[in-house]
Amino acid sequence: MCDRRLLFNALVIFAVLPTGFAQHTEPSSQPEAGKELRIAAAADLQPLLPPLLHQFEQQTGIHAEASYQASATLATQIIDGAPFDLFLAADLSFPQRVIDAGRAEQAAPLPYARGTLVLWTRNDSGVADLSLEALQNAGVKSIAIANPDHAPYGRAAQAALQHAGLLNALRPKLVIAENIAQAAQYADSGNAQAGFISLTSALTPRLSTDGHFVQVPDEDYPPILQGAIVVRGSPGAGAAHRFLEFLQRRAIQQTLAAEGLKPIH
Amino acid sequence: MDLQALWLTVRLATATTLVLMASGIPLAWWLASTRARWRPLVEAVTTLPLLLPPTVLGFYLLVLLGPRTGPGRVASRLLGHPPAFSFSGLVIGSVLYSLPFAVQPLAAGFRSVDIALIEQAQLLGAGRFRTLTAILLPLSTHSVVAAAVLCFTHTVGEFGVVLMIGGDIPGATRTLSIAIYDQVQDFSYAAANRTSLLLLCFSALALVLLYMRRGRTGTPHA
Repeated sequence: MCDRRLLFNALVIFAVLPTGFAQHTEPSSQPEAGKELRIAAAADLQPLLPPLLHQFEQQTGIHAEASYQASATLATQIIDGAPFDLFLAADLSFPQRVIDAGRAEQAAPLPYARGTLVLWTRNDSGVADLSLEALQNAGVKSIAIANPDHAPYGRAAQAALQHAGLLNALRPKLVIAENIAQAAQYADSGNAQAGFISLTSALTPRLSTDGHFVQVPDEDYPPILQGAIVVRGSPGAGAAHRFLEFLQRRAIQQTLAAEGLKPIH
Repeated sequence: MDLQALWLTVRLATATTLVLMASGIPLAWWLASTRARWRPLVEAVTTLPLLLPPTVLGFYLLVLLGPRTGPGRVASRLLGHPPAFSFSGLVIGSVLYSLPFAVQPLAAGFRSVDIALIEQAQLLGAGRFRTLTAILLPLSTHSVVAAAVLCFTHTVGEFGVVLMIGGDIPGATRTLSIAIYDQVQDFSYAAANRTSLLLLCFSALALVLLYMRRGRTGTPHA
């Protein structure tokens, strides 16, 4: 009888524990000031930021780590006190929220790049002549899109569909991913026949092997201006400013452009 | 309050609980009564979802039930649509995720039934089904109720698997836990608070009722 009570209690405790532990993903150790940089990075930066961080560390000796999420998720975390030094968002509105909450050093987000929206499909998805109109075909059952409320690329995709007059017709087919990286994963795993993803994802070796894309015309959606802020009072604020300078160098901006993020100027 | 998400969550938890009770009772009885050498293996597999991160389940479901694998194509044909991003996909995910919450209390309940009673029933000519319905189930009602309540509440509280395979579709896959996540992302803390409070009260109430039941019967099994 005792065994059973124990087991039952253990079950209830187990039911509560896993979610509790799983949420604690942010770094907890306090790094040495000036030698560590913790970046909250929009999901579209995931394919191209790691080599840049490595290059930055070689040049400055500052070790940088990035967490990738939808911009809204990161903004919420920073406002709630998550230990980040630098926020590289995928638009200007989410860094602005951090500014409004008094958690940023700057008075306005610093634009560092411009994102490009593409429509991507696997080569074996059976979608011929990929275009916004082709999404109406019966063969396209699901279209992955990042959540328009949390992810700037999702908002851009919604605007492009609206602009094409297809939003209402296609709404039943839209599956909403948490961020642009998950949208790419829905489409690459074949669960969605097409997906609105970032050019940075589409240009990665994996996705360029598995499928192909068309660019959504620039004039169909408001520009995805990506802005940065330094988190006020963070231990790595100095390192964050150095990284922003690094990011704006001509050579780095050219690297970004080759990998799907256009320069601002 | 997102009533659509509330209704969806209730439907998902009900469907999951029904499927799990229908499959969990025979499975738990087999586990409790068998002497097969591979019983530990089966028991380990049924308990595995308790220890696995939901992301592992979600990842494998997304890949294995995707249209590019054999199991995925079979599931697609059976359901008439691909399992990902659909209510039935969520039921599949929830059944796997909550499996230990059905099987563990049930098996423990069945094991605690006096073996002499079962042997007597069988001597009197009761088959396995009759032994189950006339002896085991009436003597382990508490375990059955506990298993059902745990399955239901655990499914209501499911998040990771739904986030991985759901696609956040209103009315089909946007459950309450996902709705709360969305509300927090949108800085709608008041709305998130209302939904969270409802879930908190519901879960607390379910557990209190469960423990009250046990207190009234005076023994952990009845």
